[in-house]
Amino acid sequence: MQPTVGRTNLERVKTLLWACIGVWTVVTVARFGHGIGATSGLTDVAPWGFWIAFDVMAGVALAAGGFVIAAAVYIFGLERYHGFARPAILTALLGYIAVAVGLLYDLGIPWHIWHPMVFPQHHSVLFEVAMCVMLYLTVLSLEFSPAILEHPLFHRPVFQRLLQFIKRITIPLVIAGIVLSTLHQSSLGSLFLIQPFRVHPLWYSPILYVLFFVSAVGLGLMMVTLEALLSAWLFGHRVRTDLLAGLGRVAAFVLPLYVVIRMGDLWRRGILPEALDGSWQAGLFLLELLLSAVIPAVLLFIPRVRHSVPGLATAATLVVFGMIGYRFNICIVAFDRPENMPYWPTWTELAVSVGIVAGAVLVFIFFNENLRIVDEHGPAEPVPASRPAAPTPEGPGFYTPALRRHSLAFVIAAALAVGFLPEDALFGPRPRPTPVRLARSLEALATPAPPPLRRSFHVSSLAGNVPRAAEPVATRVLVVDGNRDWRFVPFTHDDHIAALGDQESCRLCHHQNMTFDQHSACYECHRDMYEVTDTFDHALHIRKLSDSRGCTVCHSPEIDRRSRDTALACYECHGDMVVRGSIIPTVERKLVGRAPGYMEAMHGLCIRCHADLARRAPERYAEFDRCDVCHREFQDTDHRRMAPYVPMPPGHVSADAMRSQPSAPAAVPVPRPAATTRPEGRP
Amino acid sequence: MSTPDRGDPMFAILTDTTRCTGCETCVHACQRTYNLPPDRAWRWKQKIDDLSSSRFTTIIRRPGSKFVRQQCRHCLQPACASACIVGALRKTELGPVIYDEKRCMGCRYCMMACPYGIPRYSWEAKVPLVRKCILCYDRLKAGGQPACTEACPYGATIFGRRDALLAEARRRFAAEPGKYFTPPGRSGPEIYGEHEVGGTCVLYISDIDLSFLGWRPNLGDEPLPALTWAALSKVPPVIFGVAAAMSGVYWIIGRRMKLQAEAAQRAAGGPGATGH
Repeated sequence: MQPTVGRTNLERVKTLLWACIGVWTVVTVARFGHGIGATSGLTDVAPWGFWIAFDVMAGVALAAGGFVIAAAVYIFGLERYHGFARPAILTALLGYIAVAVGLLYDLGIPWHIWHPMVFPQHHSVLFEVAMCVMLYLTVLSLEFSPAILEHPLFHRPVFQRLLQFIKRITIPLVIAGIVLSTLHQSSLGSLFLIQPFRVHPLWYSPILYVLFFVSAVGLGLMMVTLEALLSAWLFGHRVRTDLLAGLGRVAAFVLPLYVVIRMGDLWRRGILPEALDGSWQAGLFLLELLLSAVIPAVLLFIPRVRHSVPGLATAATLVVFGMIGYRFNICIVAFDRPENMPYWPTWTELAVSVGIVAGAVLVFIFFNENLRIVDEHGPAEPVPASRPAAPTPEGPGFYTPALRRHSLAFVIAAALAVGFLPEDALFGPRPRPTPVRLARSLEALATPAPPPLRRSFHVSSLAGNVPRAAEPVATRVLVVDGNRDWRFVPFTHDDHIAALGDQESCRLCHHQNMTFDQHSACYECHRDMYEVTDTFDHALHIRKLSDSRGCTVCHSPEIDRRSRDTALACYECHGDMVVRGSIIPTVERKLVGRAPGYMEAMHGLCIRCHADLARRAPERYAEFDRCDVCHREFQDTDHRRMAPYVPMPPGHVSADAMRSQPSAPAAVPVPRPAATTRPEGRP
Repeated sequence: MSTPDRGDPMFAILTDTTRCTGCETCVHACQRTYNLPPDRAWRWKQKIDDLSSSRFTTIIRRPGSKFVRQQCRHCLQPACASACIVGALRKTELGPVIYDEKRCMGCRYCMMACPYGIPRYSWEAKVPLVRKCILCYDRLKAGGQPACTEACPYGATIFGRRDALLAEARRRFAAEPGKYFTPPGRSGPEIYGEHEVGGTCVLYISDIDLSFLGWRPNLGDEPLPALTWAALSKVPPVIFGVAAAMSGVYWIIGRRMKLQAEAAQRAAGGPGATGH
């Protein structure tokens, strides 16, 4: 019994880890309930993000300690590192399981994860990586199985025979592990060979596989070091600085080798100057190289530093974070995507990765507490002061204070996570709103054009682009581009009024149901460019109809399931919503307060008439239903107001020149000096 | 349209951007053919009319009322198909690069590999799939032509055998000299897609520079799968080399340690002492 349980480092760390697991659980439900799009920041230009960069790329590299130490101990006969072998193999095993679990989150169809085995495509690097990781996971399990089989639980002859067999095949297993690790550690680099256009030249290299392998060896050594220091801190072990210094000395040769190969490759391909050109990529490259290899190598080269705990800890931390950074840079930061579509991971993405790591660490701690991991050989270590007491009948039983604390951390973290979940993750992905804005009224010049277009429009303020010979006529157009994406319809409102019967014609195209408004502007109800807007105010109707008849005014008492679709259509009370002869398709849509997207509303309104005209009067309106009859660019290149910077073509008159010549053949009214906008012109 | 014959060169599409008015009839024909959902403003879309899981083809608007149809290029040696871990993407003999959603596991390596950034993902779905133009493979097999080329009212995008379309493009270059864009440093206009990354089945001729269609302005003529193969072909030697080296080292070091132990034993002088 330890009265101080809960006050130790180990207990604090475990509580924290359980909180991470709580968040992870919530995010997991969201990820598999609503899909990747709802829970990640991934896009079509960033198909691989944090999950691949951290869980897979960095995860595999961090687990490289397993094969490096196994090689040192079993192949090179460096027996004194035997004590590191089991923790390193356990870390590798948990690391690879974490990689596999992380992949399940990233794969769009995770239940097809076994497909590479039955549909092999051996031209894919990813196929090689998948096969190696799978086989290596098996090898690691076998390498680690003695630790489990030694447990009293397995003290049966059959298990002991199995244990003897596995111990006998240790060397072939270790060699297989080294071969597989060599292959897939390097192949993770080869994954990017096919993207010479997207990976920044400072990171892209035809020998990426060599760089990934060498950096993984260096990282593996430092990861084992960091892990030994951390578990010493957690479990109260003595730090074997003499042994760790030995690892550091090897790393002090591997890391410079990595730097030399990387720089040598840049130099050979003539890209070295780019590393010093002052761009942010160059800065990032130098920083990454300094932190991941140069500084740690210098530190480890000094015997006094590599024999001290702070020195080792600093070097190991730098290498671990630096090499993770290397993977991130290739996969995300130095990976080309359009500037207007940056990739930022969502917190839910980070929570998945943190949760997987937390789970792995908890399993690591569990194995350390229950199996012989650290003290496999050599003198038995003192029992960690923090080892939790086994539940005893007279003690608190199963519900130890520690368990209560862990559960509490789990529940609170999970509750907080639910509270902070983004809307998409909570309710499923929903399109972003595209608010619609008022159509603008604009002075334009119209020039005759061949049918079916009949006229071309030019922005008046840029009238300099219109040749005088083209006989421009001043006209007013509504620029219909609700979402201001510069794909507009220059709509000649006045001409449509004239064609449809002057002041009487408003009702043909405009709803008439808004209070004191005979021609409500379209954007007032069709508020989203693509999505349906709900214009029905249920609460208001309840208030207005709050007499005994209440609900049954709209909801027939015979209908059990009251819904909008089983209720009375709006126009059955608000008769003025439907106008005789109107073009608006109101009655057939049953009009229950759902205003379709602006684009759909506009298309529905215009295309019907145009198609009708094209069919009924083909001699005048042939092809009048073609898209480009309405959807037009203004005829100058200038609609983004670039015109002042575009040289005028020869034979064109500037607007100023037109203004100063009152005797110009076509009486062109002098346009306003700038493309003015004013609220939608209402006749 | 004649029925496809295996011996013939591949089918292809030629898009002449000078004839395109940006009317999107091809887009709508495609959406109808594949029963695609309406375009919606998802988070992962910058523009509603970008290629997406609801648009296998779209029209890119360029300054000066220029329109360029965007779609899968159906490369002769597609990077996506070489990257696909399960062979869900496959180059067919007729030309189209097709997709088998029953095999796909959703790793999205194809989207990373494509030099044109074409494949899209249905991120909104719970079971998301890779979405891209498949050159109407089923219609081609049945002897027809793709829905887009059939729908184009201006003949801006046409369908045929790749060699016939290349000849047609050159004929247009010759018929109207100066009309089409000549890349800087070249003697005459060029067909975009004739040689890019080993050649594509979707060809373009244009009066504007089309280099914006790839991730880099100049994609080069080398097919991308070769870059990967340079590394992958080294796998067997690495397997045997590393295995042999490790076994050798194990044997040598083991033997040396044994000899050392024996020497130490002899030095200790105890013939009765045992090694282990």
